[in-house]
Amino acid sequence: MSATLDERVDFAGIALRNPVLTASGTFGYGTEFAPFLDLEKIGGFVAKSLTLEPRSGNPPPRIAETPAGMLNAISIENVGVRAFLEEKLPALPQGAVVIASAFGTEPAVYAELAARVSEHPRIAGIEINASCPHVKAGGIEFGQDPKLLAELVRAVRRATSRPLIVKLSPNVTDIAEMARVCEAEGANGVSLINAVQAMEVDVETRRPVLSNILGGLSGPAIRPIALRMVWQVAQAVDISICGVGGIMDADDAVKFLLCGASAVQVGTANYLDPSAALRIARGIADYARRHGFERVADLTGALQAPGG
Amino acid sequence: MLGAGAEAGVPRWDPLLPRPMAVYRELGPIDLDGNSTAAHQVELLYRVVGRGTTLLAEAIPGQRISVVGPLGRGFPIESEPALAVLVGGGSGIASLYALAEALIRRGRQVLVILGARSRADLLARSDFAALDVELVCTTEDGSQGIRGRVTEPLAERLDAVNGQATVFAVGPTAMMKACAALSADRSLTCYVSLENPMACGFGVCLGCAAARAGGGFSLVCREGPVFEASELDWTGLA
Repeated sequence: MSATLDERVDFAGIALRNPVLTASGTFGYGTEFAPFLDLEKIGGFVAKSLTLEPRSGNPPPRIAETPAGMLNAISIENVGVRAFLEEKLPALPQGAVVIASAFGTEPAVYAELAARVSEHPRIAGIEINASCPHVKAGGIEFGQDPKLLAELVRAVRRATSRPLIVKLSPNVTDIAEMARVCEAEGANGVSLINAVQAMEVDVETRRPVLSNILGGLSGPAIRPIALRMVWQVAQAVDISICGVGGIMDADDAVKFLLCGASAVQVGTANYLDPSAALRIARGIADYARRHGFERVADLTGALQAPGG
Repeated sequence: MLGAGAEAGVPRWDPLLPRPMAVYRELGPIDLDGNSTAAHQVELLYRVVGRGTTLLAEAIPGQRISVVGPLGRGFPIESEPALAVLVGGGSGIASLYALAEALIRRGRQVLVILGARSRADLLARSDFAALDVELVCTTEDGSQGIRGRVTEPLAERLDAVNGQATVFAVGPTAMMKACAALSADRSLTCYVSLENPMACGFGVCLGCAAARAGGGFSLVCREGPVFEASELDWTGLA
């Protein structure tokens, strides 16, 4: 057992004090979690996806519980980029690492968002939401077509020199191809997976449970799918990977690191345990010490493949 | 929000989400046997309807569950007209007992109208009967009190108060909508408490949004669960 453990990791050129981020859309603008955990003790957080103007969401019902998971169709409700930069960011503690998330209906909108948040010194990087599964226009259309995705990443890359991360949709046939497109267009990293497109029905009322009919499935139910996709993407690209999907405890997070992720995002777990990200960061460190690692970064890709 | 429980500090995740619950009453530093204790105690009253409440009902003494709270905004109880009319339907009755106690402490005159399908479904009737309130019960099958729904005695009493009452209604959406309409017709303020599904309870999942009158949404967890009925858009509800 080593006396000192280096928990720091590099994700897409962003120096993180540990590999645990929180996922966009599950962590508000950070301040909501101040009573539950110290934002300066987790790796960082990806803020709620921003649009150029404030945006209202779908009518209720917007969420439903499913076996070991939940469905949501919120639809990128957010305060807009101006309120985020002027009101939300200054309220955060100095040491909090903040990644902004951008959403739009065309590449030029994403690029403008990226340019505006890049001017702010508190923004460590930009994640492109190219994968929201429950918005009628934008988002997932880009994440499902390699040509559109290439156009999008190219436009945003031109607009910012900050670390650029693309959040990938699992609702594709070949996620490795999508990751290769991002790498070719100059992205510094990919986050995967966003929620899995899904639906649920109430047999008593014979209605879909969500007003939007379709929603995004998240939680432990999707974790093995996410893990498989991270593994496939790790075989295909050299840029940083952030593992996302149903991570509830440190063991879950370690699995993503072993499969090739250099960081992870905790999402749905924040709802049922608002201090989950800190609990998981501490658990990863315990794991690394227990297994004789001196650097948490060395867990990345340390999977012992069969026959290896 | 009540979690499904924890083992060694790690929450369980099936069922995944915590459940929003109203506090039935605060017991203070006295346990259920009447002994004083260092811990603050609250009592929950709920109907077993699904997996979450089944798990809660099966919990054994000493078992740990996770709780985040108190959350949201409760009933306003300051500077109101003399008569407070509390209307509870079904399991919504459980949200009104602590309110009744608080109003009585402030010297308010309190009328409680409780409604349920039958006598067996009429929660907490004896608890309310022991308070210094006027209690009216209604059941749909007539097995206790007036046969019918809460709206009939409510309308009668509101007609008699000459604009000097506040209504607090908790129950099925259709009941709250009817109470809101009866109050609005008489220019009386009506507060309701909503039960939209929610995942977090503190304003980040955005799942519990309720449509506001005049457009937009309010979060039931943070801006509610209590709303003045006129703030809400009731079209499409119930």
